[in-house]
Amino acid sequence: MAIDHECSCNKNPLVPSLCQVIDVKQETGDVQTYTIQTMDGKKPFSPLPGQLAMVSLLGVGEAMFSITAQGEDYIQCAIKRTGLLTEAFHEMLPGQVIGVRGPYGNSFPVDDIKGKELLFIGGGIGIAPVRSLIRYCLEHREDFGHMDILYGARSKSDICFKEDCLENWSKEPDTNVYITTDISTEDWDGHVGFVPSYLEELGFQPEGKKVILCGPPIMIKLCSESLIKMGFAKEAVITTLEMRMKCGIGKCGRCNIGSKYVCLDGPVFTLAELDELPDEK
Amino acid sequence: MYLAKKDLEKALQTLSQKAVVFAPILETIEDKVSDAKTVEKKFMPYFDGAEVALEGFNTVKPPKDVLFPNVEKMYKYKTGAGAYIMELLPEDSQKIIFGIRPCDMRSIDSMDKVFLTKDYVDSYYAKRRENVTIVAFGCLEPSRTCFCDSMGLDPNQAPTADLMMNVAADSEFTICNDCGTKVLTDDGKYILTPQTEKGKALLEQLKELLSDGGESYQDTKCSLHIVKAENLDEKLSKMFEHPIWEKVTKGCIGCGTCTFVCPTCYCFDIDNENHGAEGCKYRCWDSCMFSDYTRMAGGANPRPTKKERLRNRYLHKLEFFNERYGETLCVGCGRCIESCPAHLDISDFIEKASLVEIDASDYSEANYSEGRM
Repeated sequence: MAIDHECSCNKNPLVPSLCQVIDVKQETGDVQTYTIQTMDGKKPFSPLPGQLAMVSLLGVGEAMFSITAQGEDYIQCAIKRTGLLTEAFHEMLPGQVIGVRGPYGNSFPVDDIKGKELLFIGGGIGIAPVRSLIRYCLEHREDFGHMDILYGARSKSDICFKEDCLENWSKEPDTNVYITTDISTEDWDGHVGFVPSYLEELGFQPEGKKVILCGPPIMIKLCSESLIKMGFAKEAVITTLEMRMKCGIGKCGRCNIGSKYVCLDGPVFTLAELDELPDEK
Repeated sequence: MYLAKKDLEKALQTLSQKAVVFAPILETIEDKVSDAKTVEKKFMPYFDGAEVALEGFNTVKPPKDVLFPNVEKMYKYKTGAGAYIMELLPEDSQKIIFGIRPCDMRSIDSMDKVFLTKDYVDSYYAKRRENVTIVAFGCLEPSRTCFCDSMGLDPNQAPTADLMMNVAADSEFTICNDCGTKVLTDDGKYILTPQTEKGKALLEQLKELLSDGGESYQDTKCSLHIVKAENLDEKLSKMFEHPIWEKVTKGCIGCGTCTFVCPTCYCFDIDNENHGAEGCKYRCWDSCMFSDYTRMAGGANPRPTKKERLRNRYLHKLEFFNERYGETLCVGCGRCIESCPAHLDISDFIEKASLVEIDASDYSEANYSEGRM
């Protein structure tokens, strides 16, 4: 039989390319950001905001991570230490050789949100995918309306991307940043409280606004309820899902929710789209 | 065209000259401790003197591993100084699957859809698939768990195979002493019908063994007939929270046998094997019935109990695959029914789900039981 080799990657999609970690940045006690380049100092690929990369430590394992930022000649992934593989990632030093394949998944619908006011809500490491879109919007600032960024972490020391969250973003034109921590610590004089209640307190108006919401499942659930109470339509709330993944290209089977594969059809879904899927998230 | 049963061996020898021919072969396994002998029928490369058993029941395991091996190396690598990654693709060798049943052929159609469509082509599967020619054999005698015709298949026809083989209607049979199934006598004849260019090429190789004629074949019916609702996929999409799942999962021990013997299960895991600084990445069959399958780093698991896992497996076969690829992923081969140590029965589930009320708040056997047809 003749096989149509129309593959979106034009090569074996399951084999990674060798890349190198050129910078390791300690964001919090258990989150590090890795700046990744090809062996000859180039950008591995140009992902759309919200897309994913399969990152592997040869001999240890491979897992899917959101790409939190990209530049002329690099991509960045922020990785939280949670299991065996991420434990090993956290041992890495600049110069470490890794495997990278991708980009995978759909992306944030940048065309749909053009001209809209944006409300970004992130919790914990959930700010990583949101940041890729915030950076995109700041680079194309004139294409978007007013931006509000609401981010919650457990304490001040748990805030990821401190420079962006605590300094840079609030200096951007027409951009407000609201940071909250779950617990009160001596070094923190900002807002204390969980994201959903702070969200309701801030009382954003739903008119003409799109929401980008990422964080732990319980935060997504409670924030979604708050947003709907505040009058946001389910179509206006965009979120990302997490599932265990192996292949990243919709073949190996495990990241399905109903007939959708999070690695291929996701990770970005609106609340309205999630309503159509079985409740297994 | 006719091929006489007595020439089958010659035909396999001829085909073996140009390709590795995987055929259903009886293998006697001796238990060294008890001296007990068991005979197992499985697809393996044909060799001179092999006891080929086209007739009889289907093999315990489907021949899907010819295209999608149980374990397959993907690439090798070296870590540290001089690190490299080197792709390992299957060799370019021609293979023939000879005597696949219609249910297993239809399973390959489904795997083709998974591995060769939807944005990405799986290089490993594609390489093997291109080099495989498939000869299907119309069933002569269904086993007690065969229900492919209830799933919309015809046990006599495999339309997507390269070459179709049926037993001629006027053939005579004996009963096999070992297995008690019908076997064609040496005077019996097979009808060979090419269905693709590859099939025609195969027939060309065999032309000296063939004789003209051959139209009417032995018409076989499945032994198990079940009620299956026309729109079962749509119905199941409204039954995610149905109480039927509690009941149907009850006996499951999560052993994964159903996925191992299933001709359409294609889920795989990816892992690595290291020898010092060198190693290889391989993929191997996985099972959605195992809890680790979806367990994430940190411990969260979207399918934490066997109820969610079995529900996902059944819905994948009967609803999700339909939504994604337009066909049902259960072909009615009956292997999982035969092999399940806890006697779970997907045909029974299909029938119950077809008959049950969608919004039943309670679920008891009496509500739907109309018995097997």
